[in-house]
Amino acid sequence: MYKLLASLKKEILLLWSDKAGLLLMFAMPLLLVFVITIIQDSATRIASENRISILAVNHDEGGSGKELLEKLTASGMFEFTLRNELSREGVNQELLSKGILMALYIPPDFTSKLTGGAEEISSLMLRDLGMEQGGSVVGSPPKPNVSFYFDPVLQENFTTSVQNIVGAYVTQVETALVIDQLYEDTEIEARPDELKNRMLANRVKIDMFATGRGGSGLRPNSTQHNVPAWTIFAMFFMVVSLGGNVVKERNSGSFLRLKTMPTSFFLVIFSKMLVYVLLAVLQVALIFSTGIFLFRKIGLPELVIPGNYGAFITVVLLSALAAVSYALLVGTLARSHEQANGFGAISIVLFAALGGIWVPTFIMPEFMQVISMFSPLQWCLQGFYTLFLKEGSWVDLKWVILSIAAFVAACQAGIYLKLRSEKLV
Amino acid sequence: MSVGIAIDQVSYRYQNEVDQALKSVRLSVLPGDIFGLLGPNGAGKTTLMSIMVGILKPDEGSVSYYDGKRSLDRQEIRGIIGYVPQDYAFYPELTPLQNLAYFGAMYNMSASRIRKRSGELLDVLGLSNVAGKKVSAFSGGMKRRVNLAIGILHEPRVIFLDEPTVGVDVQSRHAIVSFLKELSRNGVTIVYTSHHLAEAEELCNRIAMIDHGKVIAFDHVSSLLKTNNSKDLQSLFLALTGISYRD
Repeated sequence: MYKLLASLKKEILLLWSDKAGLLLMFAMPLLLVFVITIIQDSATRIASENRISILAVNHDEGGSGKELLEKLTASGMFEFTLRNELSREGVNQELLSKGILMALYIPPDFTSKLTGGAEEISSLMLRDLGMEQGGSVVGSPPKPNVSFYFDPVLQENFTTSVQNIVGAYVTQVETALVIDQLYEDTEIEARPDELKNRMLANRVKIDMFATGRGGSGLRPNSTQHNVPAWTIFAMFFMVVSLGGNVVKERNSGSFLRLKTMPTSFFLVIFSKMLVYVLLAVLQVALIFSTGIFLFRKIGLPELVIPGNYGAFITVVLLSALAAVSYALLVGTLARSHEQANGFGAISIVLFAALGGIWVPTFIMPEFMQVISMFSPLQWCLQGFYTLFLKEGSWVDLKWVILSIAAFVAACQAGIYLKLRSEKLV
Repeated sequence: MSVGIAIDQVSYRYQNEVDQALKSVRLSVLPGDIFGLLGPNGAGKTTLMSIMVGILKPDEGSVSYYDGKRSLDRQEIRGIIGYVPQDYAFYPELTPLQNLAYFGAMYNMSASRIRKRSGELLDVLGLSNVAGKKVSAFSGGMKRRVNLAIGILHEPRVIFLDEPTVGVDVQSRHAIVSFLKELSRNGVTIVYTSHHLAEAEELCNRIAMIDHGKVIAFDHVSSLLKTNNSKDLQSLFLALTGISYRD
């Protein structure tokens, strides 16, 4: 026991002497969590809370163009800057020169073409109902169109969404015109307002639910992703400190001196593991506390800790053990400090990118999603996702726990075989 | 009683090397000897010492330790030997006291014994005034003395020193050599390698010269000088190993 305590003390002293390494282990992930969460949160707010600015040019000679713009404004999703003095060609120029991202151009014949279409539909309906009027003509009038200009920097899914929303409101205007036309053609004297309102109000409402077991209705947000994700990254990034520490110790001759002493080499490895696992747990405590107590104060979503504390602690400890085992393996295999640092850092950045730390894996191409399943950071992240976003149970965690445990066992076996080949154990 | 060592037909070849580093080496270190292992670079001195302390396992032959007529087992040997490698084998980020506390615990020493011995050793080796400073800031000579202090902290009965005075100033060399003589007077068996032949001549009572993995001379220093008609160890060394470069 005294040997273990002395060994632990030595590791803590070595760690404490590496102030830059400690700073890297704690300050870097905190900084990353803050910066990435703020950026992602503001991006989410732009999409969900802020209105989308659009330059509008309405040359419509009728009233439908104005009505369309009013409806779009009333939806609360758009903010229009009306610039009717611009020509159609001028819209493109305005986008290029003023840095405006989107513009909507409504041509002069918008209402007349919409009305023509409404008359056509009304005539078709009356004809099918056997109420054809002598004057009605069923033809194919030119279809109305609006033009939507956008900066190519905008992502396709965003512009498609805006296009679909505008299309939905055009349909509303068009439907109202068809109803008006029907009432007019059938010479019904009552006003069609009630029918129009009911038709618009009776649209199918879609209720949104984030799946989860606890029913707390927790919604994924930038905090719930970034805090665990970057904590995992920080834990695995310990490879730079711990891997280098092992190489340095091996190359310094201390390992060989220990071999001549009445002690077990596993004691050295075990004490290193214990100290660094504790360090990883401290990282979790610090970063998670920041998410819980500080984020709210600076306007970011607060981190909500899952209710299944046992599973939460298990995932934290397993992730820490996986990170430490990987760092020890790299330190054991590397021949120099530079090798351990270089390979260790690059491998963790790659594992992080593949494992969905930076961007979620579901937006990756299919083959990348398959590759991502081989990243230990992905397994750890899945563990946290299962608890933080889905309020998962032990059963939901079983594959995550098995995968991480297998990874830890493989790393430990690698360490043992390498040390054995060097006759250190 | 002092401990002796018998090396019997020891051979060793490093992985991926064609030539053997040691070829059927047969030697004996008598209890209380200050035994010098001398030879040019790459002769096999450090390999032989590594086998004697248990870092390497010989391909053939054996190394046995005896205390009187009793042969010692591996665990006993680990408890009574002290190894001072040529490379600094300590933690430069720690102080001498912290290093001694750690290695002392690995030698199964109690905390109070470690404290007592650390104080004595740091005093004798002139490190008391820097006991609480990080070793990384020390001079080469001071680092050598810390390296030595760790190897002898647990009062070993056999001490192995691989080039203990390389790269140190005259004062540090004098301190180390005087200390080793003192240990020898107390019955400690010392096995020592060095390129500093005058120092070896002053310190050792018996030597073995090794070249190309073979023992080419082995006896009391005085007997070897007399037999080979050499005025000192340097002329004997050059006569036996030649003048061509070895590295």
